[in-house]
Amino acid sequence: MVPRPPIRIMLSDDHPFVRRGLRTILEATNEYEVCGEAGDGEQTLELAMRLSPDILIADISMSAPNGLEVTARLRQSLPHTKVLIVTMHDSEEMLRAAAAVGASGYLLKSDAEELLMVALQSLEEGQSFVSPAFNPDFAKRLFG
Amino acid sequence: MSALKILIADDHDIVRKGLRMLLEEHPGWEVCGEARSGREAVDKAVQLNPDVTVIDVSMPDLNGLEATSQILKACPKAEILVITHHDSDEVAAAVLDAGARGYVLKSDSDKDLVHAVEALSHHKPFFTARVTEIFLANRGSRVTDPAESVRNRLTMREREILQLLAEGKSAKEAASVLGIAIKTSDTHRTNIMRKLNVHSVAELVRYAVRNNVVEP
Repeated sequence: MVPRPPIRIMLSDDHPFVRRGLRTILEATNEYEVCGEAGDGEQTLELAMRLSPDILIADISMSAPNGLEVTARLRQSLPHTKVLIVTMHDSEEMLRAAAAVGASGYLLKSDAEELLMVALQSLEEGQSFVSPAFNPDFAKRLFG
Repeated sequence: MSALKILIADDHDIVRKGLRMLLEEHPGWEVCGEARSGREAVDKAVQLNPDVTVIDVSMPDLNGLEATSQILKACPKAEILVITHHDSDEVAAAVLDAGARGYVLKSDSDKDLVHAVEALSHHKPFFTARVTEIFLANRGSRVTDPAESVRNRLTMREREILQLLAEGKSAKEAASVLGIAIKTSDTHRTNIMRKLNVHSVAELVRYAVRNNVVEP
């Protein structure tokens, strides 16, 4: 069997320790390749346009444009790049906003170590992913 | 030379993992333990006696600033590096009040983290340029009047109880977390409300959020 090329992932978070944590988890597998890292919104847009990753993992709180604005813009210009939001914001309003701008998944930072792989797998299979802390019915209505 | 022992305290697994990777890349440094709450950080600091503790401000049960005070009380020679996403004057002032000698924003570079640990390992203070700017901007005109700060208005035990109540625990639950009598916990709550001149738990929560005792 021909090995599948790794899924190309770009990381966007203003905290280098978080990026390092995510990178460590991803690089422990052969399935994923971290193709780039960005620490603010502008840098994320620029790099994503250049790299066209399969999946962008993005935080919400970043110097402008924030992760939600970045997601909205990338949905227009890079429709094939899926966005997984990884954030500490556990409010339903934020989840609703992420769904509205076209994110494919919403993972809480507190779940990141445990559920990052599960979330990415869902996205690859064309499904959405929402952290289990949210009401599943509510999440399903938002993300389908 | 024996390894430099570092304790990491942050409630997010992913942040601890990232910190551990960054720190352990440095030759001669060893992460001797991890904690997920301020209370666990105090216990582990006492038990493991690390050279440097890297601690987050926002943590459940006992926040990083209170934990810093308690660690320094138990181990006066400990060096504490506070890491936070709070880019605020109030938090910067509170970090100094708690006795930490290093303060790095989570958005600062990983080099800053390494330099900070390095400086503290030689018992030298470390503040990044951004943090120093915050301090200088407030010199002489501190946003919070020191007499009004939580630290000056409440005792250490009262501050612990304030955080637990603000996190939604009852006086009874707070008593069980702290291993004290329910009646004592009740008395503390009454005293806290009197000192802060608040009359409901909702007001108490608002006060705690405004003063960075808990996250909104």
